[in-house]
Order: sequence, then structure tokens, then C-alpha cells
Amino acid sequence: MKTKSLLSRRLQLAFGSAILALLVVGAISYRGMAESRESDRWVRHTHEVLENLQDLLAAMQIVESNARGYLLTGNESFLEIYRAGIVKTDKDQAIVRELTMDNAGQQRKLDALALLADQKFQLAEKVIGLRRTNGLEAATEAIQKGSGKQIMDDFQKLIGQMQDEELRLLALREADSYRRLSQTKAILMLGIILGLLITGIAGWSAQHDHSARGLAEEALRDSEEKYRRLVQGVQDYAILMLGPQGEIRSWNPGSERMTGCKFEEVAGKNYSRFFSPEDIARGRPEEVLRMAAATGSYEDQGMRVRKNGARFLVRTTYTASRDLAGNLRGFSVVSRDLSRGSESDAKYRGLLEAAPDAMVVVNQGGEIVLLNVQAEKQFGYSRDELVGQKVKNIIPEGFAERLIADGTRSAADALAQQIGTGIELIALRKNGSEFPIEIMLSPLESAEGTLVTAAIRDISVRRAAENHLAQMEGRYRGLLEAAPDAMVVVNQGGEIVLLNVQAEKQFGYSRDELVGQKVKNIIPEGFAERLIADGTRTAAEALAQQIGTGIELIARRKNGSEFPIEIMLSPLESAEGTLITAAIRDISVRRAAEKHLAQMEGRYRGLLEAAPDAMVVVNQRGEIVLLNVQAEKQFGYSRDELVGQKVKNIIPEGFAERLVADALRSVEDALAQQIGTGIELVARRKNKSEFPIEIMLSPLESAEGILVTAAVRDITTRKKAEANLLNKMEELNRSNEELGQFAYIASHDLQEPLRMVASYTQLLSRRYKGKLDSDADEFIAFAVDGAGRMQRLIQDLLAYSRVGTKGKDLLDISSEEALQQALINLRGAIQEKGALVTHGPLPTVFADEMQLIQLFQNLIGNAIKYQNPGVPEVHISAGMNGGKKWTFSVKDNGLGIDPQYFEKIFGMFQRLHKREEFAGTGIGLAICKKIVERHGGSISVESQPGQGSTFRFALAESENKS
Amino acid sequence: MPIEVLLIEDSPGDVRLTQEAFRDANKSIHLHVASDGVEAMAFLRREGPHAHAPRPELILLDLNLPKMDGREVLVHIKEDASLKTIPTVILTTSESEADIAKSYQLQANCYLSKPVQLDAFESLVKSINDFWLTKVKLPQQRQNG
Repeated sequence: MKTKSLLSRRLQLAFGSAILALLVVGAISYRGMAESRESDRWVRHTHEVLENLQDLLAAMQIVESNARGYLLTGNESFLEIYRAGIVKTDKDQAIVRELTMDNAGQQRKLDALALLADQKFQLAEKVIGLRRTNGLEAATEAIQKGSGKQIMDDFQKLIGQMQDEELRLLALREADSYRRLSQTKAILMLGIILGLLITGIAGWSAQHDHSARGLAEEALRDSEEKYRRLVQGVQDYAILMLGPQGEIRSWNPGSERMTGCKFEEVAGKNYSRFFSPEDIARGRPEEVLRMAAATGSYEDQGMRVRKNGARFLVRTTYTASRDLAGNLRGFSVVSRDLSRGSESDAKYRGLLEAAPDAMVVVNQGGEIVLLNVQAEKQFGYSRDELVGQKVKNIIPEGFAERLIADGTRSAADALAQQIGTGIELIALRKNGSEFPIEIMLSPLESAEGTLVTAAIRDISVRRAAENHLAQMEGRYRGLLEAAPDAMVVVNQGGEIVLLNVQAEKQFGYSRDELVGQKVKNIIPEGFAERLIADGTRTAAEALAQQIGTGIELIARRKNGSEFPIEIMLSPLESAEGTLITAAIRDISVRRAAEKHLAQMEGRYRGLLEAAPDAMVVVNQRGEIVLLNVQAEKQFGYSRDELVGQKVKNIIPEGFAERLVADALRSVEDALAQQIGTGIELVARRKNKSEFPIEIMLSPLESAEGILVTAAVRDITTRKKAEANLLNKMEELNRSNEELGQFAYIASHDLQEPLRMVASYTQLLSRRYKGKLDSDADEFIAFAVDGAGRMQRLIQDLLAYSRVGTKGKDLLDISSEEALQQALINLRGAIQEKGALVTHGPLPTVFADEMQLIQLFQNLIGNAIKYQNPGVPEVHISAGMNGGKKWTFSVKDNGLGIDPQYFEKIFGMFQRLHKREEFAGTGIGLAICKKIVERHGGSISVESQPGQGSTFRFALAESENKS
Repeated sequence: MPIEVLLIEDSPGDVRLTQEAFRDANKSIHLHVASDGVEAMAFLRREGPHAHAPRPELILLDLNLPKMDGREVLVHIKEDASLKTIPTVILTTSESEADIAKSYQLQANCYLSKPVQLDAFESLVKSINDFWLTKVKLPQQRQNG
């Protein structure tokens, strides 16, 4: 039951609304027709105005041309037409005026036209008058002077303007009416459709259930919505309706999107709020509207400001809408946001993504608007998590502050200060860990205003490297200070950046005085030049050439004094680039030593040349480095042939070996053993002949190490002499031996038979004395005597020869003891004669004891023997007498000796007395002489006959002084 | 009782001199003479013609002998158990140190150099007699055979 009533109600409703719709449609159609009629009317009106304006112009032109005609010809007929033209213009003006009554602007223009026309007429009248009175020239002159042309131009222009205006108005009206028509059409369509729909639905719903109808209604609503969206939903365009002063009456969602404002916020407010402050200040919004109003339509491109302060570029068309009376009703504004979807945007985004560093784009509010995948990785966020976030969340300090414009300066200024420089900050990852970064900012103009692009680089590694470097530098400084040499570190600008305490001392500056100074101030030449990169090569190359080699330069102390130095360069990488470390050593002493050495060498060479012997200087490798002219002569080579040769070539054996260091000892030791001693070797001349030499070695310090100077003496003659001597000695030895043998033979072999003879003759004498005749006794006596003498002679001879052959080595002996022994040997004779023997202190002497005893014995024996009857007195003494020998004296009170015999008595078997007087063979003193001479001394006698004798002899003193 | 003394000397002149000198010194000395070392040893060992030779109480030995040298004789004497107890006195013209040393090494009882002078020689012989044959106690060795 319900359904049925509902249905009929619906049907009633449906039909009612259908009729209503039809009525509305009819009304609207009527309206639309009225519109189009009106529109037609306006078109006609406009044409009429245009036509009349054209007529006016034409009339004006007639006026002018006729006036001119008259001027030229003076023909009155022209004047008639002229006057007729004036009348016409008046008429036309009036018509136009009437036609454009509603348009204030046109009216004004007409006023202006009228004014111009009057001016023209006046001028024409004047000119004509002139023509009449003064003639053609005057008139022409007046024309030229006058503003006739100008007036005409203005007139024409104004006419044109008025025409334009009319056309514009027409266009506007046409647009308006078109719009209206469109609207009408639309509404019509809508109405019809609506009507149809309603009818349809009514009919349809009558046959379908509630839900189906509901669905249809929903569908309808949907489509309505879609359509509205279609019309209104253009996102990129803002469409506004403004009042005549610019107040916002309505707008579309696109406007909301573009400005960031809701309609409620801006309704009724002036649209100028969206202009930039500068534009507002100079009245741009009003100007735009004015232009739009004046020309009907105006296009503008400029910056607008969103609600959030972001700026963006728009292109806007302003259309003034007027009512039929021509009153300004307002403006329709269509605006396009140019910053969206531009090509450059896309390119920019591509670059950002591809960047190796993390890139974050931040707006002036400190919010992240854009980032790339690297940024996502570095910070551990996903893109969505970061876009829109405050940049403070990933860079807690230092970034946002730098960007925000504070009260004293604008954002652009704030930014400008940061652009380009890498700023070191701390960044914060999503997981809370921090890491050091370096950001490089660059501005980015965009439709939303100035954005800041920050390239963010993770400098953890770099920081670690910097720390390490700082550590190394610390260590390096330590090393520098501890270095024994002066060390100076110089940068590529030639300035001293570092030095140690040794450098302070050497140069006499304090550290502060030197750091920062040009190194030229302490090393005037040679250092800075070597470092500075010149046009042809880099600093590194310049340096590489110098590294390692010691370079000798002159340095200057603070007090101005200069001293020679040797510098050793080595490069040093540092954060500030390649530095150069120079180890500086004061080589004054070395230089002096070198100079001295050179001097010595010079002198030495001089000495070498002048030496009488051949001199050869040999180095440790056994090569001849130097020789003199004598050497050239001796060896038969020229100097050049010998220098550099191995010394082995001239002294085959014995020299080089002595010099060469073997594994057991150094050259010095090898040399030390040879120095001083003359070594006999064999040398070889150029002609291969050999000759004996004696070399004397002495060491020579030189820059090239230890050299050996060898004085080479040709000892051929000496060798011969030596050989001779040797021969002679051998001969002598042989003869001595023979003599010795002879002595032995004499003593032994001769003695034997002699002994027989002597013994038996004595036996004979004993046994047969008186038993044979007296002749026999005499004969036997003589035989005995002879034999006896012969025995004694042979014994003395033997004794004499034994002095040399049986002589013992000389030793330190006490001459006093020798004397005592001699006296013991002589005690028989001393007792017999009752002799008195005295002596003084007697020294230790260097002598053969046996022989000394014999010496004393012989001398003292003689002293006792050769006496007058009485008490023999003998005194023995010894003294030095200012020499090195002891002179002994044996003084007696005996017979004395005639000076003429002083020599003779020392001869062999020389006697001064008959056998009957004194016994003895005369060998005693000869033996004494031989003994003394064997001891290297001489024996002499002082005596006078009857006054005793003093025998003197000298002996060498003991080696150990007593 | 005759004192048997053996003189080993090759020079007849020296032999006669020694004989004369001993005769003057002590008439009871019976001086036997061997003129070379071989004869000397035969005498001492009572060999051959010397089978009945008496044992000397003193031997005077010259060093320079033909055939067997005096040094050798000395060695033989001193090696022989029965002979070595006989005092052997070297009596020679040599005064060389070497001969002296050697002789004592070979255990000569003493060494004497013959003086050149006759009276000195005679005095020496007398000394020998005084010392060796009078003062010195000789071992009792009466062996027959």
C-alpha cells in the first residue's frame, strides 16, 4: 500500500518537476533568445557606431583636403565643400555621441575629438584667412609651422581608439553573451536532461524497487559530481572571480591548491594578498586591474606568494566583466602556476638522484623538500620519512640556523654567506648514531622560493685520516725536535712552518722569529729557488730532483754572519700540501778541514815532486794515484802510463799484499805494521828488467781514504856493496876460522912434539948432567933452553889468538872483582916481591870477564916485574873524564919506558930487555892491546925512564848504569 | 906389594915420561901399558896373551887412541860390572870443555890435563900417586885368575 502511494507521489513529483523543468527551460530559452536578440542589437549598435566614426573621420578628412585644395588653388569651390564638411562632422559627432551615451570612456573621447576638431577648424580658418589675404606662401608657411598634421593624426588616432573600444566592447559583450548563451545552453541541456531524467527515473522507478532507484540516484549524483569536478577540477589553473576592487568573490579548488589558503580564509578579501610585498608596495595589483578594466583583458606574468610564504611564478589573464550598461562588475581571473611540471624540474630531479653524495634540498622553513637515494642510505631513513621533516632531525646543529633569516638579514643574505664553503657538522642517523659530515650549500631558485641544496658528505674516514695525520704530525714534531741536526720545514711558498731547537741555535733566532719567515732570510740563495715551481715543472718535480742529495749552500745567522751548510731535503705530505723538510748541517769545520787538506795536498804534491827518491802514492785498491818525476825515471814509464795502474805492475810482489786488507784485519792495521820499516822488494821497469828496491811506507789521509806513500829507492849499488861486504865477511870469517884452526894446530899439534923434545931434553939434562963431558952439558942446556922457549912462545901465541877466538860476549861485570881475581892469580909474584897493590873505586863495565882479568894480570904483572930492587907499588884507578867510557889507569913505580918505544912495546914478541934481565916473551902487552881493542877501546902509556909508567885503557860503561 | 896401574897411552914418548915420573914418585908402582883400546880391554878382561894379567888398581886413560878410542874404552870399563869399580882417571893433552864434560858423563873418576912442562908433569904424577894410591881407599879386590 505504502509503495503504491509512494509511487504515485513519485509520479506526481516526477511529472510536476517535468512540467517545472519545461517551464524553466522555456523561461531560460526565452531569456536566451532575448540575449541573442540583445546581442544582435549590440552588434548592430557597434557597427553603427563604427560606421559613424568612420563617417566622422571621412568628413574630417574632406574638411582638411578641401581646405588644402583651397589653399593650393584659392578656388572658392573648395571652401564650400570645406564648410559642408564641417557641418557634417558636427552631425556625425552628435550621432556618435548619442550612440555611445552609455560609455563614459567613449564620451570622453568624443569630447577630445570635438576639441581637436575645433582646433583644426580654427587653424583652417586662420590659414584660409591668410591665403585670402597674404597669399599662398604665407599660408603654406603657416601650415608648416602649424600643428595641422598633428591634429589630424591625433584625431585619427582617437577615432581609431574609439573604434577599438567599440570593438572591444563588442567582443566583451559577445563573449559575455556567448557565455550566457553557453550557460543557457548548458542549463538548457541540463534542464532537458534533467527533465528527461526525472521523467525517466520516475517512469523507471515506478517499475523498479527502492534500491535500484537509489542506485540510479547515486549514479546521477556521481555523474553530477564528476561533471562539476570536470569543470571545476582543473588543478593547474586557479580561476577566481573578483569584485571591481579586487575582492575575492569565488574561486576554484585549483586556487586553493596554488595559494595554500582555504576559501573561507580569503573570501571577500583583496586578491592583492597573494602578490609579493614589493608588488603590493608599488601598487601592482591595482594596476593590473586597471589595465584589465581599460583594455578589457590583460595578461600578466609575475610572482605570487603562497600562504606559507613560498613564492611561485604565475601567468594570469584578467578579464573585466561589465554589465550591459558598461559598468564594471568585476574581473574573472585565470591563473596558471608555471613552476609545476616544468622540464627543468625533471632534469633537476634526475641530477639529484644520480649524485654520488647525499643531496638534501631544504626550504626556507628548514624542511626537507627533496632528497636522493644516497641521502636515504646515509641517514638510514626512507624518502617518505624524510620529506617534510625538519632538517634539524638529521643535522641537529649548524644547518637550520645558518639558513633562517634572522631579524637583521634576509634569507638570501644568510644563504649567500654559506654558499660554496664546506661546513663541517655532525649528522644523526635514524639509529641514533652520529657521524661527521661536510655540507656544501648552493641556492636553488624555484617556484616555491629560494631552496637550499645541500651536498652532504660523510667525512668519518677523512676525519680519521686527519686525526691520524695530526698524530703523525705530532710524532713528526717530536722527531724533529730530537734531531741532532738543525731541521727546518718549509712550505711551497718558501715560508718556514716548522723548526727545531737545533735550528734556533744554529741560526741564532728564537722559534717565533723564524716561523712564517721566508726561508730566503736564513738561506739567501739556492734553497727557495729550488723549491718554487716554475712554469715548466711542478713543485713535486722540482723537489724530486733535489731529494736525497746533499746540497752545499751559504746560510746567514741573525747577527748577519754567514756560514757554509749542507742541506738534505726530503718531502713531507701534510694537510697543507707538500712540505719540504731540510736537514741543515753546519759544514764550516768540514770546509776548513777540506781547505786545509787541499792545502796539505798541494804542499804534499810539491814535496813529492821535489823528493830525491822516487815517490809513489797508492790507494787502498793498490792503484797508483800519484807519482813524481823520479819515479818516472826509475821505472822508465811516463806519468800517465803509471797513474791508475796497479802497483803490482811495477812491484810484482810484496807491496800490494802488504796493503790489501784481508779478512782478518783492516787496512789501517795492515798498514801500521809496515809503516816505518824499510822493506826490500824487487821492482820491474817498463823494459821488464828488474832491480832491487827499498820502500819506506807512510800513510796519508786524504779525501779518498787512506793512501800509502812509498818512497822507492833503487838499492842496486847498495845491494852490490852488501853482497861484496857479505863476500868479504865470508872471506874474513873463513880466514878467521883458518886462523883459529891454525891457532889450534899450533897449540895442540905443535905442542905435542915440543913437549917431547922439551921434556926429554930436560930429562937428559937431569940424568946426565956431569956424566957426559962439558960440551954435552952445554949442548943439552941449549937444547933445553930452546925447547923451553919454543913452548912458551907457542903458549903465548895461543893465548894471543884466543883473545879473539875464544872471546866471550861482553857483559856487565865488576872490574873490581876482575882485579881481585888477577891479584889472586899474581899472589905468588906479589908475595915474592912484596909488592903493594892499591886501587880506587872501580866501576861496572861492559866487558869479557876472563879477558879483563888477563888484562889486569898482564899489566900488574909487568908493573911488578919491571922494577928496580925495592918495594913495587902499583895503583889502579878508573875515571870517566867527560866521555862515555871508563878510563882505567895502572900506575907503577917501575923502570919506566923510553917514549920512543911507546908504540913498539905493544907489538908482538917485542922486548926491551934481555932474556937474562927479565923473562917473558914480549907478548903480554900485545895481548893487552888486543883485549882492549876487542872491547872497543885503546891502550896507551905514559912514562919516563926511571919514573915509572902509567898504562891507560878505556872500556865502555855498563849498559845499566851502576 | 906392587901397586898395579894400567896406563892406556899410544905415544911412546909419553909412556916413557909417565914411567919415569911414576918411578920417581913411588917405586912400588907396577905400571902396565896398553897402547890402544883393544889391547887395554884384552888386558882388563885377561884375554889372550893377557890371560894372566893382574887386575890394576888404577887406570890412566888417554882419550885419543887408535883403533878403539879412549871414550869407548871408558864406556866399556864402566859398563863392565867387574871393571867399573876400578878408578879410571883420564890423562890427556886436551883441555877442551867438551872432552871434560863427556868424560865425566861417561863416569870417569876424574880428568887431568897433561902439562907441557916436564916438572909440572912430574908434579902431577906425584899428585896422582899421593891422592889415588896413598890417600884414597881403594876397594879390596883380590881376584885371581
